[in-house]
Amino acid sequence: MGEIILTMKGIDKSFPGVHALDHVNLEIRKGEVLALMGENGAGKSTLMKVLTGIYKKDSGTITYEGKEVEFENPRAAQDAGVVIVHQELNMLSHLTVAQNIFIGREIMNGKMIDDAKMNEESIKLFQKLNIEIDPTEMMGNLTVGKQQMCEIAKAISHDAKVIVFDEPSAALTEAEIEELFKIIRDLKKKGLGIVYISHRMDEIKVITDRVTVMRDGTYVGTLITKDCTKDDIINMMVGRVIYEDPKAASTVPKDAPIVLKVEHLNAGKMVRDVSFELRKGEILGFSGLMGAGRTETARALFGADPKESGDIYINGKKVEIKDPMDAVKNGIGYLSEDRKRFGIVVGKSVAENTTMAALQNFMKGLFINKKKEDQVSWDYVKSLKTKTPTVETEVVNLSGGNQQKVVIAKWLTRDCDILIFDEPTRGIDVGAKSEIYTLMNELVAQGKSIIMISSEMTEILRMSDRIVVMCEGRKTGELDISEATQENIMHMATQRK
Amino acid sequence: MKKKVLSMFLSVAMAATILVGCGNSNTPASNTPASSSGSEASSDAGSADGSFHFEIVSKGFQHQYWQAVLKGAEQKASELGDTMNFVGPNSESDIAPQVQMLDAAIAANPDAIGLAALDTSACLDAITAAQNAGIPIVGFDSGVPNAPEGAIVANAATDNYAAGALAALETWQLIKDKVAPGTRIGVLSQDATAESIVNRGLGFVDRMADLIVSADLTVNVEGNDRFVNDTIAEKTEGADVIIEVLVPSSVTSELSTIDCQTLLNKADTICIYGSNQHSAEAMVTADENIGKFGSAVVGVGFDSGAVIKAAVADGTFAGAITQAPVAMGEKLVELLHAAASGEAVSDVDTGCQWYTAENMNDAEISQNLYD
Amino acid sequence: MAGKVKNAGSRTTNPLVEKIGGQRLVVLLVIITLFSFFSIKSEAFRQYSTILSILDYSYYITFMAIGVTFALITGGNDLSIGTGMVCYGLIGGFLITKMGMPVGVGLVVTLLCGILMGVLNGTLVAIMEIPPFIATLCTMMIARGLGSIVTGSMSITWPPLATEQGWFRSIFKITIGDTKYPLGFLWVIILIIIMTIVLNKTRPGRYIIAIGSNKEATRLSGVNVVKWHMLAYIICGLFTGFAGIAYAATFQAVAPGTGAGLELDAICGAIIGGTSMKGGAGSIVGTLLGVFVMSMLKTGLPYIGLQANWQQIITGIVLIVAVLIDVIRTKKSGK
Repeated sequence: MGEIILTMKGIDKSFPGVHALDHVNLEIRKGEVLALMGENGAGKSTLMKVLTGIYKKDSGTITYEGKEVEFENPRAAQDAGVVIVHQELNMLSHLTVAQNIFIGREIMNGKMIDDAKMNEESIKLFQKLNIEIDPTEMMGNLTVGKQQMCEIAKAISHDAKVIVFDEPSAALTEAEIEELFKIIRDLKKKGLGIVYISHRMDEIKVITDRVTVMRDGTYVGTLITKDCTKDDIINMMVGRVIYEDPKAASTVPKDAPIVLKVEHLNAGKMVRDVSFELRKGEILGFSGLMGAGRTETARALFGADPKESGDIYINGKKVEIKDPMDAVKNGIGYLSEDRKRFGIVVGKSVAENTTMAALQNFMKGLFINKKKEDQVSWDYVKSLKTKTPTVETEVVNLSGGNQQKVVIAKWLTRDCDILIFDEPTRGIDVGAKSEIYTLMNELVAQGKSIIMISSEMTEILRMSDRIVVMCEGRKTGELDISEATQENIMHMATQRK
Repeated sequence: MKKKVLSMFLSVAMAATILVGCGNSNTPASNTPASSSGSEASSDAGSADGSFHFEIVSKGFQHQYWQAVLKGAEQKASELGDTMNFVGPNSESDIAPQVQMLDAAIAANPDAIGLAALDTSACLDAITAAQNAGIPIVGFDSGVPNAPEGAIVANAATDNYAAGALAALETWQLIKDKVAPGTRIGVLSQDATAESIVNRGLGFVDRMADLIVSADLTVNVEGNDRFVNDTIAEKTEGADVIIEVLVPSSVTSELSTIDCQTLLNKADTICIYGSNQHSAEAMVTADENIGKFGSAVVGVGFDSGAVIKAAVADGTFAGAITQAPVAMGEKLVELLHAAASGEAVSDVDTGCQWYTAENMNDAEISQNLYD
Repeated sequence: MAGKVKNAGSRTTNPLVEKIGGQRLVVLLVIITLFSFFSIKSEAFRQYSTILSILDYSYYITFMAIGVTFALITGGNDLSIGTGMVCYGLIGGFLITKMGMPVGVGLVVTLLCGILMGVLNGTLVAIMEIPPFIATLCTMMIARGLGSIVTGSMSITWPPLATEQGWFRSIFKITIGDTKYPLGFLWVIILIIIMTIVLNKTRPGRYIIAIGSNKEATRLSGVNVVKWHMLAYIICGLFTGFAGIAYAATFQAVAPGTGAGLELDAICGAIIGGTSMKGGAGSIVGTLLGVFVMSMLKTGLPYIGLQANWQQIITGIVLIVAVLIDVIRTKKSGK
């Protein structure tokens, strides 16, 4: 146990109408990784924003290195050595890696910025982290994983003593997460205090020493990680037990009709000769590392990206899918991994989003039949248990899980029999996650078929009836759930051809 | 949020006040034509019998020409003991603001209205309203072309076609020895829609073509379609002399200057005529880099203003046509006064003059030259 | 690794930078091609005076374009520059010709007006967070009205070269012996160099790019985004002031109520030169080249006998091509 470097005590913060933080306590120690857990909206991010000077606290104290402090702004916090690696990557895609790392405190040579020197310093930083990134590369050209590494390098370059990681692994592949953990262990050894915010229970078990749990803006408690079970933590978070064991065997009958058949699909470098079948009532998991071509396959199938060759059969009949309109006509719905960009229109209401893909069914002459729209939307709100006060509420005000439900409602309204879920639970908290799982199971029970792309191994193992594994644009294996293990999936996922 | 909005409004209001304040303090009242002698005149004349009030809607004050019109009108109004309100939009493309000014003029219920319409069709409703209200309208400058029968009681205007023809005649005296097969005469027109400007161009083109034909040469008009189609000169393939009319796609100094340069740089060009202040000024700018006016090419302008006067005085331009804006202002008020008194009125040509370096200081001419 | 550090400054290995540089090269080739084409087609075109004129008429657009490039890089825009330029030229000229002030005062006031307008635009956009398009659309109208009010709607003729007060016109074109030299181009080159350094090598430039790339991220990096965002508009205003002076020196007569539409020439130039309408990317040299494409078209097309309206159509097509390149580039870098 290291000595305490930073304490937050009785932190209170209100926004108009919301008591976001209610006397929350937190203690960060040197050479220790503290997990900060809680469902979305529990106040984790708000607490960290108070810590790093983005928000002003209403009351409470922050003691840092023995002195009471209040950081005026993120810059002041950085200068003092308290930095945050944000969940949304704060990158400037038009600037180089080095320019990003030193933004706001450029190395100057007189009145001029000394780019060469900044590049050198960046390389030194990367060497410290044991990673290899060209500092002259444009940030926008890097993979998400590399961008994350740059954020960390930036944090360390501040001579940080406390680093907060806000869901760092959300966009990383398994391999990149391994690398991230190496770095975190390294930082820990150097005596830094680290706060790690994540929804992924297995990561928490692997990397953290203590777990502080928050719920609805309040402090619930702190546990020693190695002395507690997943269920302990989850219980503290939600107050109910969540079942998270893998599915034992497929529930789909062997003779269930094939609703979708894809043969020799080719689209760019990321989709090479991909063939697979989807049966009625089945959840077909797509597993693989980041960049394996799973999303690209889905997008090509859906007609969102042009494909070079390949045949698609729906219910045994060959169909032409040139654009998403064709796909939707054929009963395929696509739930994007990036909800905010492709899935929903955040500024519009629940009802408007629900009927967006099937508006032609809600017309009364030239006008939209508002009553029917509201009625149908409300039915889905009820059946999907979407938490929203009214169907007129703007989607932006819903949590991630409820936004996902609105997207599901959108495709159900369109009578889609084949649903492609791309990372269905990304950025969704544990409680809502299990609701989405239940929902998916209900959908297949009703005879819908689902393709589920997921980077979370537990999710793949828990939900799929069959699993297709991809690597570098090719299908490298197919497994029935009964024979699937984490190990043989990983083996296929790294099987380069 | 509320605070933000409030502060925003306050700042904007403050900025506006400061800016407007500056503007006013920088502007001596005598230089603001919109607030003309009206008020002074009315206090002078009181409500004496036989004094009238006129609303005059001009095309604006962008060109000094209008200042001279205003001057003539003011002189005559105070002479007759009438009052007037002389207004005009910001630029000659502000058709809608001019219509609003005309509406306001009618609402003021004057004894007569003077109007130089930018666009007749846009003014039609207002003109009808004036007719219904029994307010006579007198056109001036370009007048109100194509106005409905009886709507305009009379016009005080330069006969632009005749003015263009005068320019052609005077130019011919200067270039007749140079005109030969394989030569080119250039015409710059600000636009191809305003009647007054088109007529000045057409007057020149038609008369010049006529003079060339009478010298036993063939002639063809090229360039802008409006001029090519409307000229009385016959289309002739492979003619001896070409009259080329250029019109810019929008009225900017740069485009007109480039047009003039194109003409100047053609080896066969012997003469260029610019049919209003804008075009003539562009000719002066264009020649700065080329230096052909006054030597290889004869330059002829229209209207005056500091730039054009200087060009005529130093020989860059062989000469220019000036209208008689002072006389136009006077004639306009005379017509308004007569119309308001119920007398029969008819069109008046306010005339134009050819001026050169030699005669531009004569009193008769210099009164119509303005800066 | 070590090798990379060495050539880090030049960044020749970067594909995105290469693409932007590539576009500049293409634009330069277009200019050369256009110039050769017009020269071959028209004897009248290939003269020293034509080059002199192309330069003369490019100064004011170039200045506006350099300025607006900064606004564009922040992801914004400045529509007030066209009418603004005319307005400042009117105010400066009014002081000289109607109030009898020395030319120097008129020039300084012209620049000051530009800076003031920049401050106003910056305040509206950076502090009050009004969308730049709307904010500068409003200031565009304000500038237009203001110019007319100050001069009583009369056009202003700046002092001619021959007079004592006309020396300012020699700033842009100097006559030595019988030859005229485009001195203004020297100032353009110097300002281009200075502003290129400011944009790429100093903090203000770096932050202006950063704001255009991701304003929130820049703010969270502890950068005073309001200040630098505002600065972009002040630079834009200052350069519009320069443009006002260049305009007055070239055309001498400035008419109130005009100028609307000229801002589009400048914005087009910047875009042809590779500045992204979405912000975050732009180059001052590219802007200069873009302006020259426009000037070359405007000057050259009449020489090959194309009527005015066709000139506009061709300019429109060129702009579409330029924007298409931008769109394709953004798409590629987005993936």
